[in-house]
Parts: sequence; structure tokens; C-alpha cells
Amino acid sequence: MAVSRPIGSRTRLAVLVLASVTLLSIGLRDAPVIREMREGVATVVSPVETAAGAVSRPFRNAWRGVTGYDDLEAENEQLRAEVAEAESQDTRLADANQQLSELSGLLELPYAGDIPQVAAQVVSGPRSNFSHAIEIDKGTDDGLAVGMPVVTGGGLVGRISRASGSTATVQMVTDPEFRVGVRVAETGELGTARGRGRDEPLTVDTAIDPDTEVAEGTGLVTSGVDRSLYPAGIPVGEVTSTRDGSGGLVLELVIEPLIDVDRLSYYVSVLRWEPEG
Amino acid sequence: MNGPRRTLVKSALVLVSALVLQVGVVADLRVLDAVGDLLLLTTVAAALVDGPDRGATWGFAAGLLYDLVLDTPFALSALTYALVGYLVGLAAAALTRPAGWWPVGIAVAAGFGATTLYTIVAHLVGEPYPFGDVPRVGLTVALWNAALVLPACSLLRRVFGRSEPDRVRVSLR
Repeated sequence: MAVSRPIGSRTRLAVLVLASVTLLSIGLRDAPVIREMREGVATVVSPVETAAGAVSRPFRNAWRGVTGYDDLEAENEQLRAEVAEAESQDTRLADANQQLSELSGLLELPYAGDIPQVAAQVVSGPRSNFSHAIEIDKGTDDGLAVGMPVVTGGGLVGRISRASGSTATVQMVTDPEFRVGVRVAETGELGTARGRGRDEPLTVDTAIDPDTEVAEGTGLVTSGVDRSLYPAGIPVGEVTSTRDGSGGLVLELVIEPLIDVDRLSYYVSVLRWEPEG
Repeated sequence: MNGPRRTLVKSALVLVSALVLQVGVVADLRVLDAVGDLLLLTTVAAALVDGPDRGATWGFAAGLLYDLVLDTPFALSALTYALVGYLVGLAAAALTRPAGWWPVGIAVAAGFGATTLYTIVAHLVGEPYPFGDVPRVGLTVALWNAALVLPACSLLRRVFGRSEPDRVRVSLR
């Protein structure tokens, strides 16, 4: 059956599309009015979300138990092995941290280990399928500000992208818009790592000399070089593979992040550090 | 309170409830590492119940509300849902027998369509969300839509005061 297209409906649709595109272009310029609206809504929604989350927690836990039991069991075994290995590395790590701290001091680079931290609880994970942000229960009232790095014991989680009085939004390392200056732990090569989406590895596809030898499993930490958005020494990930990039002009590194975004259910730490300038 | 105003208040209540459920509950119930989308679901239901006009308007409002709590580009959901609402309304109006399981089929198609459209528009505005995620995310959204579209239509029929089940009205103005 042919459908006669209503002119009124099409006009209305055109107005709505025009309004959307206008708001979209305003939002992309990071207009203060949009930012403030989002911060205001976050302040209102966060307590409601926390309450709804508390009520539904048993159901969500049951759901996770059903959908992820096998994965959890395998992961548990793997974690036991990793804990045993990590314990044996404690002494060496403490020594390396000491050396890094001293070197950072000599080079006048801010070192992550010396920066005061604020513990925060994760209120919610990504709220949509294309979101790469989590919400935490600390905000500007607790001294947090946009740009501060967020870490766990495992490494870099991301940075604060929005902060209101009692909550903040953390842009995670997996966000395709995320960039962080990194240093290859063993060679000292500098590059920029970027996110590629949920469950995807990070990549470093600039600045690494193609003749550099980078072994699988090599660690990367934040570089903390001049005007970096992050202090030096925060673990970012491990190299899982390398390949030629930009037609062989650079060495591209594929990086497995040290944090598992699916498991960020409880606490993270915010470094009270803001980049200079 | 007169009819249109009552409908507006009820609609706002449904949208806010859907948002709270989305961020407080559904966002944590992952299937195939993706989540359902209640704001899109209500958009599809509104369009099925009351045609393209209502579908587009509802989609715009639902998307804008959702955009306020996301870190993705503002109004990206509003644009996508308005277009999906309009198209779903047209598809529903095109059907000669508005009964049975057809709303489920349309809701499934809308789940895939909305996910694809969202990703395309995101690329156009410089947000490189991976196209490889579309099948997995689209399937999850479609499954949620399939499971909940009939109760959602029933709820919105009450909100809009539509007594006749599955009737789709197209405004010819």
C-alpha cells in the first residue's frame, strides 16, 4: 500500500533534524552552556542512579553470575598465578620505583608516586554502548578538577573529563579520543598511545623509530614530558605485538591496557595533579 | 488538567523513568558486552502507537535527555532517535494489517538501524566509533527491543489515550 507522506510530519522532522544538528555543532565546540547543563544533570542523576543501583544490585549480580561464571572461574585461576608472580617482584619493583622517583626529580618531571591521591567509588560504568566513561562519587567539592589522571593499582584508567560538585566523569583509556604520551620502559622511546574502543588494544602509531627493537611484554608508562597531561611513571600497558606503520616509516605498537574496564566496579584513585599551562 | 497537558506530563514521566532505569539498571546488564537502550525502545513504541510525527518528536526528546547523561557528542542520540522514530512511524503506517508480531519485527530492525545510523553520524562528526562493534551492539539492542516492545506499546497507548490496540495514526496535514 502506498503511503502518502504527510507534509506536516516532514516539516516537523526537518525542524527536529535542524535543531539536532545545531545542538550537535554547539556541543562539539564544548560550549559552556552544554557543559553546565550536563554537570547539573549529573548532580541530579547520580544519587538517583546510586539508589537504583543499590536496589537492583542483587539482580545485576545474579545476571553477571549467569552470564560470566565460566569467565570468572578462568580469570580467578589466572589472577592467583599473577598474584604469586607479583609477590616475587615486589622487591625489585620497590627498588625501580625509588630509582624512577629520583630520576624524575633530577629531570624535574612530576612523578606519579609522589602525588596525593583521592580514593573514589565507581558509581556507574559506561551508560551506553558507545560511551567510554565511568562515573565516580567524588567531584569538585573533594578538590577534583577536569584533567586529573585516574588510576588503579594496575595502572592508568583515564582522566577526568567532567566534574560537578559531588561526582565526576572519567574518560577511559579505551576511548578513541583518548591520547596519552608514553615511554617504552626498556628502550626509553617516546610515543603517543591512543584508545581504539572497548575491548580493543591501545596503539602507539607515531614517533617510534622503525629500527627499534621492542619485545613482546615490554611495559609502557606515561612519559610526563614537557606539557604532558599526565605525570611520569603511571603504568599504561604492555606491548602485545609490533608492526610497520605509515608505510614502514614508524614502528607501530599494539598495547594491552593494564586495567580491565569491565572490572572497574569499585574503587579508583584520582591523582590531584593538573598539567601546567 | 486538560488532555494534551496530561499527556505531556505522563510522557515526561515515562521518559524520566526510562532514563533512570537505563543508567541505574540496564547499563549494567550486559549481553554480548553491550546493553539495551530503553530510550530507543520508547521511541520505537511511540512511533508504532502514534505514527511518524509522534515518533520523531519523542525520539528527539528521548535522545536529548539521554545525551545529557552521556559523554558522547551532545544531540547525537537526539538526531538518530528522531530519524529512527520517524522511519518506524512510516513503516508502521505502511502495514496493511497492524496486528500480530509485526511490531517486534520493526523493533528488531530499528535496533540494528539505530546502531548503524548512530555510528555513521558519529563518524561524520569526528567520533570514530568502530564499525566492527555494530553487529554485536545492534543485536543486543534488537534483542532488548524484541523482548520489551509489546509492553512498551501497551504503556504508551495508555499515555497517548489510544484505546484501539495496534492502531497507527498518520497525521495528514
